[in-house]
This record gives sequence, structure tokens and C-alpha cells, in this order.
Amino acid sequence: MIEIRVDVPLAGSELRVEARLPAAVTAVMGPSGAGKTSLLEAIAGLRRRTRGRIACDDVVFLDTERGVAIAPERRRVGYVPQDAGLFPHLTAHGNVRFGAREDERRVETAIDTLDLRPLLPRHPASLSGGEKQRVALARALATSPRILLLDEPLAALDVELKERVLPYLVRIRDEWKVPMLYVTHNVGEALALAGEVLLLRDRRVEAQGRPLDLLSSPGLSVEAEAGIENLLPGRIAGHDAAGGVSRVELEGGIPLSVPLAATRPVGARVMAAIRAEDVLVSSAPVKGLSARNVYEARVEGLERTGVDVTLRCALTAAPSPWLARVTPAAVEALGLKAGQPVWLAPRRSAGRRSDRERDCPGAARGEARRRRRCRAATGTRCAGPPPGRRRDR
Amino acid sequence: MLTRDEAGVVLFTLEVAALATLLIFPLALGAALALARYRGPGKGVLETILSLPLILPPTAVGLVLLEALSRRASLGGWLAARGIEIVFTWKAVVLAMAVMSFPLLVRSARTAFEEVDPRLVGLARTLGCGPAAALFRVTLPLAWRGVLAGTVLAFARALGEFGATVMVAGNIPGRTRTLALAIFHDNQVGRDDRAAVLAGVTAALAFAALWTTELLARRLGRRREE
Repeated sequence: MIEIRVDVPLAGSELRVEARLPAAVTAVMGPSGAGKTSLLEAIAGLRRRTRGRIACDDVVFLDTERGVAIAPERRRVGYVPQDAGLFPHLTAHGNVRFGAREDERRVETAIDTLDLRPLLPRHPASLSGGEKQRVALARALATSPRILLLDEPLAALDVELKERVLPYLVRIRDEWKVPMLYVTHNVGEALALAGEVLLLRDRRVEAQGRPLDLLSSPGLSVEAEAGIENLLPGRIAGHDAAGGVSRVELEGGIPLSVPLAATRPVGARVMAAIRAEDVLVSSAPVKGLSARNVYEARVEGLERTGVDVTLRCALTAAPSPWLARVTPAAVEALGLKAGQPVWLAPRRSAGRRSDRERDCPGAARGEARRRRRCRAATGTRCAGPPPGRRRDR
Repeated sequence: MLTRDEAGVVLFTLEVAALATLLIFPLALGAALALARYRGPGKGVLETILSLPLILPPTAVGLVLLEALSRRASLGGWLAARGIEIVFTWKAVVLAMAVMSFPLLVRSARTAFEEVDPRLVGLARTLGCGPAAALFRVTLPLAWRGVLAGTVLAFARALGEFGATVMVAGNIPGRTRTLALAIFHDNQVGRDDRAAVLAGVTAALAFAALWTTELLARRLGRRREE
């Protein structure tokens, strides 16, 4: 449980946040300039003129009324800024060990959790964006933090890199059980990770609630356009090289076929990413469709999002809901309404997971822009937030 | 080749220049750090005052030192009462060099400190470093190039110091005569060939100092790219 009641002076105005966050993972969302990064910095103790009260479980970080202000080095927060913030003069190993030099076991566990062994001797300048984020996460974890503050850990990464890093975040959430505040612009990430969303707008709290309930909030729908809405954790169940597919087993044991990904071993954790508009919706059972994956589901809700309608569908076999985006005309033609049974079929090319990072010569330099150019050259689609949204200052 | 006296002058110059550099190192770094972090009023005035020795004629700086350290002045009187003689001794040479080199080191180090991303320092704090530990583990390692360059520059400047030294330490053979003073002296008494030799030695020393630093910086810098 994190309790926040703060005024943070910023240039021009001040950020005022009052919230109690009981969830294991809280997504902090909202338009650029809403104050998301400043909120994390205030919790970390890096905004010295913050007034009010901040408490994490029973530990009071700040209580200006009672004259309590714990120094940042004694708060034990794991802060991962947007650009990873690795120390350029240290190797990856030096970075991970920076905050926890006595506790080698903890360091080793963090290194293993994020698969960092091969990267350890390298300096940040030679790491890709996704690798930097993993090193920064391990560095934060190695300090045994009371809370993790992640500032858009995936924003600088394109879709394929996101799919590689997200499973690590899920793993941290499930195995390390460290509470997280997770700043993101991406609805899919919020749905995949967070139990709660704190929506900021103009340096105030606009709303707080379950991710799906907030989906139609204007602050979210604006940002939701370019994202990947369905991020489904699973494991590689097998490869069918002749058929050109890999079988992924999603939560609830439901199978999904994706384009062949023979480089990932059977059993590896992956994250399937399916855009809401790539989910075909049928009001009757489907036969003879080229799509291999068809799932029985029920419409739980319809939300008008921009010009489209987003359907929230509960799969019969799986715990996490799927989002599908259709036109209002399709809603009318199919007579879609809450409670109605539907059959969902992700387009075959849509269920993707990938190792593309290393196929891309520019990627090793870790520059999102160069990677994007490279991707365009190799003809693969790149969907990420538009560049204008990356920075939050 | 150098005569015995000339070799003594070279050695003496190296010694006092090194001592002066050593003396100002912690002070200049502290001043640079304060200037890099401080954002309040009076910053501009403070910077200007610290840079004054760079633009004043060195003889003027020497005059100020001489006045301050003379027995008539309060500081000089106070020191004399404790048996500490500075004026016209090797200590005055060190002092003159230190004062003249100080602003060079401050300026280089300040620029280097300002280039260290303050967010990295903040991150070091969240990772358990107190302010001092963050300074030694993040700020200094990231700023070391500028600090090193400034230190070498300060040392080279000390090697060639003339105006302030001659004012406050005089030109006493075997006691306060440095390379710069010896060159002037040789020229005055008509030994232009010896003056030229000593000028060559001074240039070689300064060149060696700057060049080895450059090599060192490049080699250490390359390792970080891996």
C-alpha cells in the first residue's frame, strides 16, 4: 500500500496528488506534462521541495508536517528512469552491483532474472535500448527495494523489443513481489501488468480505478491509438518448421499459433502482442477461415473509443480479457451487445513475438530512431508511440 | 647541455609547480563543484572574482600578494609573529604559482562537473549513496577528463609563471629562481644562448605534460566504449 498526499512545485504550477494505491502494480497514465515523472521523482526523494506525506507500507518517506524527510539513499526505492540512466563509466555488471555491493546473492539473482550474464562485461554505450532497460531493472532489483518506480520502461523500445522486455516485468511482479508504480502511455502495458490505474491530467489526479474501467476516459483514449492493446503472456509450446508456425500456450492453456520463432527454446516465456484492430470478430462460430486461432468468448462491454468501438471480451478458456476494435457499422451489422457470445480470430500475422533485435544492424547501438529506420528498410511494421510522446518533461 | 645550476633550476621549478598544483587541487575542485551546483544570487560576481587572476597583469596579482604578506599587513604580521616567512622564499613561489593557476583548474573542472547529468547523481542517491559517496562514485569518475585536463593546464601554467613570482619571491639564484626567471635573467645579462636552451626545456616539459595527458585520456576513454 502506497499513500501519497503531496504538493510538488514545478515550473509554472505545482503537481498535486492524493491517492492510496493498494495494488501490486499501479499504472500511472496521462498525457505528456501531466506530472507522471515528477510524481516518481517526488517518491524517490529527488524533488527536494515536495510537501505533504508519502508512505510505503509502514515506512514514512516524507511527512513535512511532522518534519520527516528521509534522504533518497535511505528510502530504498528502485527507480528506473525512462532512458534507463545507466552509469556510462561502469560496465553492465558494475551498474547492477552499484547499489548492493555487499549482497552478492541478491545481485546474482537479479542478473539471472533478467538474463544478463552475456552482457555483464559491456559498457552501456554498446547496449541496445532493451538491454539497457534490463540492466537498469536489475540494478534497481539488486538493492532489495521496497517499491519499484518505473518510468516508461518500454517507451523507447519498438514493439518487438517491448515483447522481449515485458515478460521480465511480469516475472518481477510475480516472483519478486515488489510493488510497482509504472508510468506508461500504453493501454496494453497497463492491462498486462497493472491492477490499478492512476490517471493524471494537468498535474492533478483525474481518475483512479481498474484499467479496463478507465479505458474510455478521454485521457486514455487519446493515448491509446498507436498501442498494442492485447499483450498476452505465454510460453513457447513447440515449433512446426514445415508449417512455418510456432505454438504458444497462453494463460489458461489456450493455444496460439504465431509466425515461426525457432530461436526461442521450447518453454521460453514470451509475450504475444495483438493489436485490438487485428482481432476479427464473428457473431457465429467460424469454419474454414485462414486464421488458425479462433476463440470462443463473450462480449463484456463496449466502449466508444474515438471513431471506433472497443469491445472487451472475456474468453471462455482464459482469465485475461481481450480487446477488439471494430467500426460502429460492424457493431450494428453484427448486433453486438454486452453478454453476446462471439468468436475471436487474431489475424495470423498479428500474433507476433520476436527476436528481431539482433537481426537489425543498427539495433546494437541502442538508438530507437536508427532501429526504426532499419526496420522500415527491412519491411517490418513498426508500431510504437509517436516520437512526440516519448519525453515527459 | 645544462649546467649544474641550470639543472637545479629545472628541478626546483618542477618541484614548486607540482606542489602548487597539489595545493590548489582540492580547493579548486571544491570551488568548481560549488559553482556548478550553486544557482543563487551572486553567482556571476563570484565567478568573475575567481577568474580575475586570469586577466589581471600577473605583476598586479604579485603586488597584492606582496602587500598582504608584508610584515606591515595584518596577515603578514600574524604569520611573522609565528615565525613563518613567506615573502622572498620558495613558499612565495608556490603561492604565486598557486594563485595564478587556480582559476584555470576551477574553470575546467566546473565545465566538467556541469556536464555530469544531475539525474545520474540523483539515481546514485536512490541506489544508496550519500552525497559524498555519489560525488566519489559518479560525479568525479564522470568528470575526470575535464578535471585531469584542468590539472595539467594548471601545472603547465605554474611552470611558466613569471610576473607574480618575481614580485612576491624575487629572483634569487638558488632560492627562488625558476625557469621563467632564469630565462629573463640570462637574457638581461646577455647570455641569449642559455636563455634559448632554457626556453626549449620549458617548452619540452609543458609539451610532455599535455601530451601524456592526452594519451592517457584517449586510452582510458576507449576502454569505456566496449
